[in-house]
Amino acid sequence: MEKLIVDTDGKLTIPPEIIKKRGLQPGDELSLIESDEGLLVYQGGVDEKTRSWWNSLTQDQRQMAELEARRYESLSEEEKNRMWSDDVESTETETEGDEIDLRAK
Amino acid sequence: MTSGPNSVLFDKGVIRRVYERRVRLAAGNPPTILQIEASNCYARICKLTDRLYITEQTSNILRLRPKIFAEPFLADLQSLKKARYLRRWARRLKDFSFSPEDAIILAYGSFGFDLEKQTVGVDMIVTTDQGLEKNYFRNFDQIEKRFKDMILNLPEPYKDLRLPRVITTATVLTGI
Repeated sequence: MEKLIVDTDGKLTIPPEIIKKRGLQPGDELSLIESDEGLLVYQGGVDEKTRSWWNSLTQDQRQMAELEARRYESLSEEEKNRMWSDDVESTETETEGDEIDLRAK
Repeated sequence: MTSGPNSVLFDKGVIRRVYERRVRLAAGNPPTILQIEASNCYARICKLTDRLYITEQTSNILRLRPKIFAEPFLADLQSLKKARYLRRWARRLKDFSFSPEDAIILAYGSFGFDLEKQTVGVDMIVTTDQGLEKNYFRNFDQIEKRFKDMILNLPEPYKDLRLPRVITTATVLTGI
């Protein structure tokens, strides 16, 4: 992990070896992620898994994905939330019938 | 983080954000910071281990989504089954002010069963919920004591079970 020092103008200097390693150029955009745990400087672009998925798609599949994506993006936040909500699994004793009993080896 | 996890359970919020990051890419829209964070975390963890899990509920939700987006997740991630006592442990976790949903995901972390590999529990639960991480961390000693008391009285195969670590996507990115 590299330590960055904030100067009096609030600017940060990225060590030259990191600039070289990451191929950063003047004008490149970096994202600053703020969370309760701290700050994270993130180099934009697409992560490896997402890129690999996208690259694996044919032209037809990309068109289909775009269509589905636009449909999803047109939904309200409430509609998306409903789509991702499932009945919360019950914790009651009487629902324990679907649990798998482990056997001693 | 001292060593990488061998097995990881992603909560629904993480999978949703990674899914939505891909949706944004396909739609040609810029992702949100939280989607970037979850996607980077997901990609990083996928490099560390292939024992990657979701709960049955998350799997069911993904199965209802368009295949073009859902199938890669269902290929990467195994759905954990519920081993006996999962719900009993979830009920006890609710005593520590966890919501029913949080209690269930935590219980999967100890009593989630991989049918194929015949293993139980995971090393780490990754979540987007900072409240869950904090509450777990704050009460960990008491939770651990309660867990040990419970498994002490259970039959042989359950005596070796353990508690997972709970960590947010942001912590994964800053800590690994």
